[in-house]
Amino acid sequence: MSRIEEHVHRIFRQIPDSERKTQLTKEIIQDLEEKVADLMSAGKTEEDAVNKAIIDFGDIDDLKAELMPAVKRHREHGLSLAYSIAGSILIILLVVFANFYYTPGVIWCVYPIFAVLWWPLSMLYLYLKRR
Amino acid sequence: MISSDIIRGHLDAIILRLIYEKDRYGYEIAKEVEARTGGDFKIKEATLYAVFQRLEKKDLIESYQGSISHGGQRRYYTITSLGRAYLSEELREWRKTKEIIDTLLEGLQ
Repeated sequence: MSRIEEHVHRIFRQIPDSERKTQLTKEIIQDLEEKVADLMSAGKTEEDAVNKAIIDFGDIDDLKAELMPAVKRHREHGLSLAYSIAGSILIILLVVFANFYYTPGVIWCVYPIFAVLWWPLSMLYLYLKRR
Repeated sequence: MISSDIIRGHLDAIILRLIYEKDRYGYEIAKEVEARTGGDFKIKEATLYAVFQRLEKKDLIESYQGSISHGGQRRYYTITSLGRAYLSEELREWRKTKEIIDTLLEGLQ
């Protein structure tokens, strides 16, 4: 694998595989290789030309943002929300059990329950905000 | 090399215009931009491909696989009718903007 190919594959590593990604990777490698050939015919050594092509490629963040499906991010937040709800229900059940099993005379379990509820609440906020 | 926000704000239109003239592939557009501005403005490949993705998503351009030339098949971009409409709207807006900025900034010695 050439250095150009290696570099492009490294850039796209975090992006989930898709047909579009495969095609775009191929396209960019082709472009950069043509650029390297142009730079070499302008008198640069191969190493210099490859370095310049890689440096000139620029900031990848915009491109990443275009390729990352927004739907997926939303689904991830949905998962966090479900997890937080399940987790807080378990914690609340544990606290309620401990309360009524060991100290049925004193109702102290509402305090930790209030604290734990912030967790799903914040996740719900994140979920709704993204939508 | 100039990298002004104003240019960046009109990259979509600039690239659409180049594709409007004829179907082009990625590197060709980068070269064309540099040649036409005499090297004053260069577009980075990363930016260029981000614009392609955005324009394709908005159905302003389409891409197709070109026939086999030297160095393999290239992916060419072509403008859609929606793209043409968008471009003429952008152009109208830009002329107006230029007029406004000229009115407000020019004439000072």
